[in-house]
Amino acid sequence: MIFLIQQTFICTIPLLIVAMAGMFSERSGIINIALDGIMIFGAFGGAVTVYAFIKTGALADSPQLIYIVGMLVSAAAGALFSALLGLAAIRLRSDQTIAGTALNMLAPAVVLLIIKIFFMQDKLVMPTLPGGLSLTFVLIDNDLPGFLQAFFSRAYISTYIVLGLYIALSVLLYKTRFGLRMRACGEHPQAADSAGINVHRMRYAGTLISGALGGLGGFIYITTSAGGTAGGTVAGMGFLAIAIMIFGNWKPVGIALGSFLFGLLRCVGSSYASLDINGDGVFMLKDLGLPMYFYNIIPYAAVLVVLMFTAGKSRAPKAEGIPYDKGMR
Amino acid sequence: MKKFLSALIAAVMILGCLAVASCGGKTYEIAVVTDVGQLMDKGFNQGTYEGAKEYAEANKITYKYYQPANGSNANDEDRIAAMNMAVNNGAKVIVTPGYLQENAIKTVAAAHPEVKFIFIDGWNLGLDNVVGVSYKEQESGYLAGYAAVMEGYTKLGYTGGGGGSNPACNRYGFGFVQGAAAAAKAKNANITVKYSYQNGTNFSASDALQSQISGWYQNGTEVVFSCGGSMFDSVKAAASTFENARIVGVDVDQSYESDRVITSATKGLATSVKLMLAKFYENKFEAGGVVLGASDDATGLPEETFAKTMKTWKLDEYKALYAQIKDGTLVPADETPTDANSAEWLNKWLTDNGYTNVTIDFE
Repeated sequence: MIFLIQQTFICTIPLLIVAMAGMFSERSGIINIALDGIMIFGAFGGAVTVYAFIKTGALADSPQLIYIVGMLVSAAAGALFSALLGLAAIRLRSDQTIAGTALNMLAPAVVLLIIKIFFMQDKLVMPTLPGGLSLTFVLIDNDLPGFLQAFFSRAYISTYIVLGLYIALSVLLYKTRFGLRMRACGEHPQAADSAGINVHRMRYAGTLISGALGGLGGFIYITTSAGGTAGGTVAGMGFLAIAIMIFGNWKPVGIALGSFLFGLLRCVGSSYASLDINGDGVFMLKDLGLPMYFYNIIPYAAVLVVLMFTAGKSRAPKAEGIPYDKGMR
Repeated sequence: MKKFLSALIAAVMILGCLAVASCGGKTYEIAVVTDVGQLMDKGFNQGTYEGAKEYAEANKITYKYYQPANGSNANDEDRIAAMNMAVNNGAKVIVTPGYLQENAIKTVAAAHPEVKFIFIDGWNLGLDNVVGVSYKEQESGYLAGYAAVMEGYTKLGYTGGGGGSNPACNRYGFGFVQGAAAAAKAKNANITVKYSYQNGTNFSASDALQSQISGWYQNGTEVVFSCGGSMFDSVKAAASTFENARIVGVDVDQSYESDRVITSATKGLATSVKLMLAKFYENKFEAGGVVLGASDDATGLPEETFAKTMKTWKLDEYKALYAQIKDGTLVPADETPTDANSAEWLNKWLTDNGYTNVTIDFE
């Protein structure tokens, strides 16, 4: 049980933050299909930062601080990359889906090129510390008593940063003037403009926030799931996050539910054979003897079923995907 | 602006012509044509290239590498184009690492019978100018499994790539089980081996693989043999959250990537490329297929880092075991089924050979 909670956090957190990233740009009116590329680019930015820290020996005794700086840089890298989407979609009024797809192709190419030129490899692995020790970002690696263990042993600080960010961002979108204006730009930009809101600026803000969160999510993903290795892929997590955003109906609560449900089922799907829910030493799911594919399909099948019942109520931001044109009414 | 552009284009074209002219007369005798991915992959392609490079430099022969277009998505056409370019640049022998090269080699080798091909990780293609080089991965796997149990671990795991259909991975895994079983018998210990091809079909890292392996470590598995390219990254991520989790690496010495690696089941790619090139230049090239193993120094565990990573089992003991495999007194079995994604064949082998102290826990 404890193990399942720990693993669910690892699966869920990147999805949660990247789905929030998608929500921010879509609520401002820009379809951000480039999340996968943004994750790749952000992950690379973070990995390079960690690499530089370890190679220069700075902050060697406080890995958590290195991790936090890495997260900041990855967010900056993601924002920088998403600025390209903003430029194409807002200033140049290009088709947002095509621009996003182009960015998805650009990100792995650029990242692999840089890694190839400067590191002579095809992936950038965060190096080991002096003395050959691996760098880990786990907060506490001994076992705490009781339920504390589920939430703090083998947990990453990023988990709590993301949960905090999730609350802050939800408040930002629903309880502040900025959030209201941003949502207006995604629903009816002409109306927002007539009320004196600078639609372009709001959409840039949405895209940049989206990029920052996406980059952060990418870095957290490679650190917690891929051994700190940045390369040309994040295993399609960006697209999964887009699906979860739609599943969550472009709303924070729905996104949280969606990512936890999906993360949990995905964990069950991949580690079903090691799950001992009530701690009696019996691996029930394994003893059922069903083929592994059954468990692997569950998360996707569950999402499909839920969508079947909720699709009728699905409500995308009205003006998303349409370049803002002052002259249009 | 237009004038400037046309001047620029003209200049580029002239430079291009000069560049072609300047290297037009130069030829490269040894060519390395990769299959997919990057040349400097720290593993397969790099090992092959470095072997060719060392041989060429030692014998003052010209060499050049060619990477097919489209990187990780290169297809047969791209590989054929790269091989033809190598032939046009005067290659006498082409080293082609990777089992994906089959169709490209068949096409180009048939069209250019004067050029010889060394097909690394390949097999006999039935052509007069191609030699397929495969490895006795079961020997490296055997040594790694033996080492892990001798080191004192009793709960092992194997996660393999290719979904059970990659012969190299299957041989590694089979060897690993055999070595572990032999060591368990010698120590009179009971061991369990978790055996899985799940989440490894594409040889890539994923959160699913990370969850699965975390589950193993959580339930007491002590050392996991990560057998397939980037899968190592997920195994490493899983191990990093458990203090006592250990890993066995694959193909090359992976102890440089994580301090959790106790040993690696390796293939001597560079050694075997040098061996095959030497045969070619001594006019002893024979078409068909060769299988390289310990007797050619092409399999084994890394010796340089042995003392650093292994605490209980000593290098001398390893060398003694290695010598047995080398002189043929100890021969690990290599017959794996085409679809190895089940436990039956392993259990059958264990029962047939009287190993009662090994439990295969298949996932």
